[in-house]
Amino acid sequence: MTTNSATPVLKLSSTSFMAIFGLWVINKAGGLVYQRNFADGLAQLTANEYLVLAGTLHGIHAITSRLSPIPGQSSGAQVIEGETFKINVLLTLTGTKFVLLTSPAEPASTIDTLLQKIYSTYAEKVMQNPFHTPEMPIRSEAFDVSLGGLIG
Amino acid sequence: MTIYSLYIYDRHCTCVYYQDWHRTRRPKPAVEGGILPAVSQAVVAPPPESNNSTLAPYSSPRNTLTSASGVVVAVSEINAQSTASPLLQAPPSPIGVTSTGLAFDEEVKLVYGVVLSLRNMIKKLSGRDEQFVNYRTSAYKLHLFETLSGYKFVMLSDPGTESLRFVLRQIYVGPFLEYVVRNPLITMDSKEYGIDNEYFRASVDRMIRGSSFFP
Repeated sequence: MTTNSATPVLKLSSTSFMAIFGLWVINKAGGLVYQRNFADGLAQLTANEYLVLAGTLHGIHAITSRLSPIPGQSSGAQVIEGETFKINVLLTLTGTKFVLLTSPAEPASTIDTLLQKIYSTYAEKVMQNPFHTPEMPIRSEAFDVSLGGLIG
Repeated sequence: MTIYSLYIYDRHCTCVYYQDWHRTRRPKPAVEGGILPAVSQAVVAPPPESNNSTLAPYSSPRNTLTSASGVVVAVSEINAQSTASPLLQAPPSPIGVTSTGLAFDEEVKLVYGVVLSLRNMIKKLSGRDEQFVNYRTSAYKLHLFETLSGYKFVMLSDPGTESLRFVLRQIYVGPFLEYVVRNPLITMDSKEYGIDNEYFRASVDRMIRGSSFFP
């Protein structure tokens, strides 16, 4: 019991603590093409589990835009909040989704800027790479290094 | 800040209650048998007239819970009810109300599906028993409060609102316990009837309209 409760207590008591836990890139078909963890705090899952979660998120994102109670277009879910972390989603015009897992205290403006920066890095280091096949997993050292500079 | 709608689900994944406020984009009426009776009168298709005569009055105390009434404290004459409880009537549809293109029973399943998937996703990602709290799109925000008994309270509000979990908890602790759990005329977990009744609806309505975030 004591060993179990140690980690959550640590996290709950530090609500002002800011962290970026991870980044996913989901292609327009719902496949996970990039996944990287930056900080501890969330469960360590296998590659397969991440693939399933990304697919689920892709589906949920499509449904949430249809549930709007008011007229006009609604976007899909942009921020999904749990108690100790939140999931921020940026949907690009081409259908690629950038998903950033952060602590709840992280301000929305910071996250939006960061997601935009990640998107431009992606455009620069991944899409401009002639050896990269679109919609396929991203294996690019240049992208990894640039992200390391952005997020650290 | 606006509140749009409230859904209550029991632990069997079925919607047992629905209420809405400033909702300007509405679902189509549920198909026959799509949702339980006594969930909400605003979203069921009006029953055909011939049904009224076939319902034998007082044949069973359950008659007060048919889809035609949706009322627990009620008389079994349809006409008498329509004058007796204006609150339970379907709101007249004002001009400018659009349709989601979805039937209400479909919508209810989609909402539940989203809530359940996100709940599982949050649990999986956090690796502990963490609750899903809310999500936000450009048009609305969905809040979830889950009780230990498996009842899920889901509320849709405008995207600018803070977390409304405490309001959902208040509905649970206040009107829900008082007029549903402690109401001997309501069988909980019945899988056959919703929990709609006049007191609960009025009480939730009063609570929401009286709150600071209601326009």
